[in-house]
Amino acid sequence: MLRKKWLPLLVVLVFTLSVVLSACSKPQETQPSEQSKQEQTTPTASVQDNDSWTKAKDPSKIPEASKSRTDTLIIGLHEPAGTFNPLFYETVYDAYVLSAIFDGLIEVDLDGTYIPGLAEKWDLDKDNNTVTFHLRKGVQFSDGTPLTAYDVEFSYYVVADPTYDGPYDLAPAGIVGFKEYQEGNADKIEGIKVLDDYTIQIQLEKLMGTTLSDLSITVIPKHYYGKDFKKGNLDGVKALVQKPLGSGPYVFDKFVPGQEVRLVANENYWKGAPKIKNLIFKTTTDETAVQALQAGETDYETSSITANKDNVELLESLGFVDYALLPTNGYGYIAFNFYQPKFQDVRVRQALTYGLNRKAIVDAVYQGLAEVRNVPQSKVSWSYPPEDEINPYNYDPEKAKQLLEEAGWKLGPDGYRYKNGEKFTIHFLQSTPNAVNDALVPIAVENYKQLGIEFIAEPMEFNLIVEKINKAKEKTFDMYFMAWGLTPEPDPYNIFHSKGSQNRNGYSNPKVDELIVKAREELDMNKRKELYRELYKALNEDLPYIFMYQRNDLNAKNMRVVGFQISSFRDFTYSLYQAELLQY
Amino acid sequence: MAQFIVRRLLQSIPTLIGASIIIFLIFALAPGDYVTRQFENPKMTPERMEQLRALYGLDKPLPERYVSWAGNMLRGEMGDSLMFKKPVISVINDFIWNSFLLGVAIMFFEWLIASIIGIYSAIRQYSVFDAIATLIIFMLYSLPSFFLGLLLLKIFAVDLRWFPVGGMITTGSNYTGWAHIMDVAKHMVLPVATLTLISVGGLSRYFRTNMLEVIKQDYIRTARAKGLKERTVIFKHALRNALLPLITLFTLEIPSLFAGAMITERIYNWPGIGKVVLQAIYVRDYPLFLGYTMLITVLTILANILADVLYGIADPRVRLK
Repeated sequence: MLRKKWLPLLVVLVFTLSVVLSACSKPQETQPSEQSKQEQTTPTASVQDNDSWTKAKDPSKIPEASKSRTDTLIIGLHEPAGTFNPLFYETVYDAYVLSAIFDGLIEVDLDGTYIPGLAEKWDLDKDNNTVTFHLRKGVQFSDGTPLTAYDVEFSYYVVADPTYDGPYDLAPAGIVGFKEYQEGNADKIEGIKVLDDYTIQIQLEKLMGTTLSDLSITVIPKHYYGKDFKKGNLDGVKALVQKPLGSGPYVFDKFVPGQEVRLVANENYWKGAPKIKNLIFKTTTDETAVQALQAGETDYETSSITANKDNVELLESLGFVDYALLPTNGYGYIAFNFYQPKFQDVRVRQALTYGLNRKAIVDAVYQGLAEVRNVPQSKVSWSYPPEDEINPYNYDPEKAKQLLEEAGWKLGPDGYRYKNGEKFTIHFLQSTPNAVNDALVPIAVENYKQLGIEFIAEPMEFNLIVEKINKAKEKTFDMYFMAWGLTPEPDPYNIFHSKGSQNRNGYSNPKVDELIVKAREELDMNKRKELYRELYKALNEDLPYIFMYQRNDLNAKNMRVVGFQISSFRDFTYSLYQAELLQY
Repeated sequence: MAQFIVRRLLQSIPTLIGASIIIFLIFALAPGDYVTRQFENPKMTPERMEQLRALYGLDKPLPERYVSWAGNMLRGEMGDSLMFKKPVISVINDFIWNSFLLGVAIMFFEWLIASIIGIYSAIRQYSVFDAIATLIIFMLYSLPSFFLGLLLLKIFAVDLRWFPVGGMITTGSNYTGWAHIMDVAKHMVLPVATLTLISVGGLSRYFRTNMLEVIKQDYIRTARAKGLKERTVIFKHALRNALLPLITLFTLEIPSLFAGAMITERIYNWPGIGKVVLQAIYVRDYPLFLGYTMLITVLTILANILADVLYGIADPRVRLK
C-alpha cells in the first residue's frame, strides 16, 4: 500500500530531476535519453560478472545494513573447521578460505582445463617422461619473501611424507623415487629436482594426460612451515594450522571458531591488489543463509542455499540478489552388482534404464533444477560429448519389455518375469536419510512392477551400505543409488576400468578399458577430447550404471558486489582479487 | 561428610570404567570409520585408505585400541581431533563455553518462570490462570525446537529486524567490555527464548505437583491454624518443602549446561559444542566424540554426588550419620 502511495510522487520526482539535469547538461548534448542518464548514476565495475549469473535489477532494495560496509565483503558459508593449511584441510569450506590465502601451481579454467597459476608455463617431455614447471618471477608471500622452486619442492615433500594424512595423494602420479621415500629409507625423492630458483623438474615413471592433475598442488612457504621439518615429522607444519601464511590475494587476520574468519587484502598480490580491503567468511547454515543475505548480514552465499525452485523464486523476489546455478561437479547413479549374472546382459541394463521414469524422480526431488544425465560427466567439462551422439533413454516401458523378452526373461503366470526358473527380483540398498531415495524407491517399485520385476528396497545407514558394497562378490544386493564427485581431470580409470580401485561391482568391458587407458595416456588435448567422446559413447550404450542426474549448486550475492567469473570448476575464490563493491 | 564424599568418589571409579568401555564399543562397533566417508571421492585409492587407517591406528584390534585410548585419557591426553587436526581439548575449549553461557541463561529463566507459574497454579488450582497456563505450557512443550526456532527467527530477525539472524557477535566487530556484552546479549535473546519456552513446561509441572502435595500436608494446616499470614505459609512452610525433590533435578541439569543444544545451536548458528559433536558423530571423529562424551560422563557422576550432598544438607531426615 505504502509503495503505491509513493509511486506518483516518485514519478514526479524523477521527471523533475530529469528536466533539471537535462537543463544542466551541455548544450551540444541534446535531450539525453533515459538510458544514458541511467548509466551516469549507476556505478559500474571494471570487471563484470560472467554469464553464469542471473542479474538482479532493483538496487533500491539493497538493505542499508550491507550498504554501510563500504570496504568489507562478507561471504556466508558453512562453518569452517579452522584447519587452515592447504595441504591438510578436511572440509571444502576450509578449502574456500584457504584459496583466498594461498595460490596453486596450476589453476583451473571455466571448462575444467588447466591454465597457468604460480607456474607460468610447463614443458611436457614425452621422451624423457618429465614435467618442467617454470615459475612466475616476482611472486612474494605476504611477508615479502619471494616464492621459489624450493617452496614447491617443500610442498611436495610434505605431501609425500609417510605420516601425511591430508587430502592430497601423490602416489598415482608415479614420481620416480616416491615409493622409496614413502616406504623405504630414501631421504630424498629422486624424481623431484630443483633446476634453479624458478624451475622445478619432475621425473615420472610415465608421463600421462593425467599427470598435471596428479601434480597440481598449493604452494606453502618453506621458510615459514619448514623450520623443523624432517622426514617422518610433520608436527612443525601442523602446529601452524591456525596461523596460515601464503601468497594469495588475502592475508589471514583472525579466526573466531564457529563464527567467522577475517582476512585483509594482500597489497602485494601478484595479480594486483584486491579492490576490497576486508574479507570476512561468516558461518551460516542451510536454515539461515537466505535470511542472512536478505537482512544484509552477508554479501555472498556459497553452497548453503539448496538449489530448488522455492529458493530461486525467493531470491528473485528479493530484487537485489544475483544468483548463479552451477551444475554440480558430480552425478547420481544407480549401480548394478555385476557379480549377479542377470546384469551381465546389456539388454537387461538397457531395459532397466528405459523402464525407469528418471525424469519423474529427478523432478520430484529438484523441482526442475536438475537434469537427467546419460554419461558420467558434467555438462560443463571440456570432455563432455555432443548431446546428439548419446542415447537419452527416454522413459519407454514398451521398449523395456521388448528388451527383457529378447534377453529371455519371460512373463510368468503371476505377472513376474522368469528365466531358467529364476524370478526377476531386485534387492536395492536404500541409504537413509536421502531425499533422492525417498522419491526413487516408490517410482522404481511402480515402474518395475509394470515390467514384471519385483523391486525390494532395504533401508539402511550409509556406512552399512559401504560395508556391503565392499563385499559385492557375496551377492547380498543387486542395485543401490549413490553419487560420484567429478574433478576437472575426466579420467575415470578408478571407476570404470576393470582393474579400477573403485570399481567394486565387477564391471568389465575390454573396449572401455582400452579407451580409458588410451585417453589417460594421451597428452594432446584435442586427441583426448576425441577419445573421451568415444568412451562416453561406449559407456552410454553399455550402461555400467543407470546414470541418473546432475543437480545444481546455487551461488547468490548482493548485487552491490561485482566481478565474479565463475563456473562449476572455477570457484568464486579465483575472482576475489578482482571483485568490487559498488556504492549505490 | 568428607569421608562420604571420598567414598562416593572411589565408588564412581568402576562406573567410569564401565561407562568408558560401553561408549568406546558403541562408537567403535558402529559401521564405518573416519576413512569410510572418503568412499565417494573418486580419486581415493584403497592403498591410500589403508595407509590412512594405519596412521590413525584404526587398523589395530579393538582391545588394543581401547587400552591405548584409555591409557591416554588417564594421562589427561584426549588426542587430536581428526577433523579439526588439533588437540581435542582445545576444540572443546573453543566451543563449550559458548554452550555453557547459553545453558546458564536458559536455566536461569527456565527456573524463574517455571517456579512462578508452578507455584501460582498450585495455590490457585483449577483457576482460570491455572487452566490457561496449563494450555499454553503444553502447547509450547509439544513444539519441536526447530519449528519454534525458525518461527521466532522469521518474525523477530527477518521481518521485524529486532534481533540478528544468527551467530554470537556482530560480524567484523571488535567490541570490548560493555559493548561486547550487550552485543552477545542481543544475539542470545532468540536462542534463549526458544529453549526456555520449550523447557519451561516440564519444570513448571514439577513445581505445581510438589506444591500441591505439600499444601495438603497436616503441617500446612497447622501453620494456617496458628494464624500465620498466607504469604508465610506458602513461601516459608510450603515452598521450602516443595523444593526438596527439585534439588536432584537441579543438580542433574548441571552436566547438560555443558552438553550444548544441537538443533537450536544449528538454527541460530550459535558456536556451541552441540553441533560440533553432531558433526563428529557423522564423520566418525572418534577422539573428539569420545573425549566429549567422557567429559559429560564425569560431570554427570560428579553432579550425582553433589545431589546427594546437597540433599543431606537441606533435609535433616536423610542426613547421614
